[in-house]
Amino acid sequence: MHAFYFREASRSFRQHRGLGTTAIFVLTAALALIGGFMMLSYNAQIAVTNLGDRREMIVYLRDEVTPAERQALITRLSELYGAVTYVSKEEAWEALRRQVGDPSLLDGVDENPLPASLRIRLKPALLTPEAMDAASRQVSGFPEVEDVRYGAEWVRRLHHFGNGLRLGTIAVGLIVAIAVGFVVYNTIHLTVLARRHQVEIMSRLGATDGFIAWPFVIEAVFEVGLAALLALAAVFGLQRLLDAQLIRMVFLPPVWALGFFVVAIALAWFAAWLALSRVLRSVGP
Amino acid sequence: MITFDQVSKRFAGRLVLEDVSWHMDEGECVVFLGDTGAGKTTLLRLITHEMRPTSGAVTVGTFRSGRLKRSQRALLRRTLGIIYEDFRLLADRSVFENVALPVRIAGRFADDEVIPRVLFALEEVGMHQKQEAFPAELSAGERQRVAIARAIVHRPAAILADEPTGALEPKSADEVLTLLRRIHDEGAALLLVTTRREVAEALPARVIEIRDGRLAGAATGATAAAGADPAPSTADAAPPAPGA
Repeated sequence: MHAFYFREASRSFRQHRGLGTTAIFVLTAALALIGGFMMLSYNAQIAVTNLGDRREMIVYLRDEVTPAERQALITRLSELYGAVTYVSKEEAWEALRRQVGDPSLLDGVDENPLPASLRIRLKPALLTPEAMDAASRQVSGFPEVEDVRYGAEWVRRLHHFGNGLRLGTIAVGLIVAIAVGFVVYNTIHLTVLARRHQVEIMSRLGATDGFIAWPFVIEAVFEVGLAALLALAAVFGLQRLLDAQLIRMVFLPPVWALGFFVVAIALAWFAAWLALSRVLRSVGP
Repeated sequence: MITFDQVSKRFAGRLVLEDVSWHMDEGECVVFLGDTGAGKTTLLRLITHEMRPTSGAVTVGTFRSGRLKRSQRALLRRTLGIIYEDFRLLADRSVFENVALPVRIAGRFADDEVIPRVLFALEEVGMHQKQEAFPAELSAGERQRVAIARAIVHRPAAILADEPTGALEPKSADEVLTLLRRIHDEGAALLLVTTRREVAEALPARVIEIRDGRLAGAATGATAAAGADPAPSTADAAPPAPGA
């Protein structure tokens, strides 16, 4: 690209510092809004994933299953569905005693009625209601298995909540992105309109649309790029504050932050060309 | 070089130019003389393709009016040098940068080639001492001289001047006319529009009078100077025959 365009963009920014600085502040505020929203969405997704990780299937074993049969079953279930933990009858009884709190309530029970069980932490691919339902039916078919439980209704609700959160994130994200797009477009439109006289003179002297537009586009990209970095810094500050004072929260992962920056630049590019094409047409042929 | 073939231009129902035909050769000097609102500026804007004729055709070099692309229009304007009554200099750039603009727009020259061209143009108009100044620091006459330097710096095929002395005091106006005459003598075609008969008289030009959007007749600068008033006509205003 011609060095002249960069010199022009630099000169333009220096000579219209007030306008440029105002534009950067407005854009920083708009981009910080979307950056903050992205961070909240990311943290909400992490929370849902963590909840999902706790989804497990409990396989109750028949009393007559021998240790060898049990071990063979554990091996098969591990291969097919995920990590398996064995809970013996005694361990189950002990857990129940802890849960009940008052041991005297269980005094009347002569024999441990609880079955031994296998707890399966399912592979990520099996964490949908449909997959869990299918896995449950398959496991029920094993002769060593008495019963299978996995909290079908809870899993379904969690799954729907996760889907809703994703769709909501996309919808609200789109609305915020469009709003930010308008702010970027109008801010750049105003900066170009403020230099309409210059645009008109250049056009009369035979400048092509590209010659007129490039310095403005470079300036717009610079302003939005700077605003995006400031917005990320503001969002980082917010994350540190919330994490220290209110709720555990993580900052955007590097890929998200980079994506945010790249999309902001692309938005500036698009908005600048759109604003310029309108101004160039309005100054006449 | 520039040809108008039965050109009419209508604005909001009003006929601003009516059936105008004329031709200008390379290196020629033509002055359009007429009152305010006679259609002179419209004529210039048709040449620069800022507007299209309602009917007829305007040809500038190889560019013919019609649906020129924006890039073609830009190319056409680069073959012309334009001087405005109100100078139209960029206030936030120095004299040097204002004059350098058409060379940069042409895009054919490296930075080290731009500088000697601009300095040469500034020397021609006597403004090389003020190359660092900004337009606001100059007198009206100086600003017009900078505008002339900007119009000639890229060696255009023709220079168009829209009332170039309109905003100047008599002394500055004389200096500008002398300058334009010299530039024309060096080979540039010059087309000037004015309301002032003394401007037409000061140039070795073919003078074409324009009244209410119609060409009233053609005369040489000398004829115009003698106060001749050719019969009003819409007939083609052709250049004088060789030896006439």
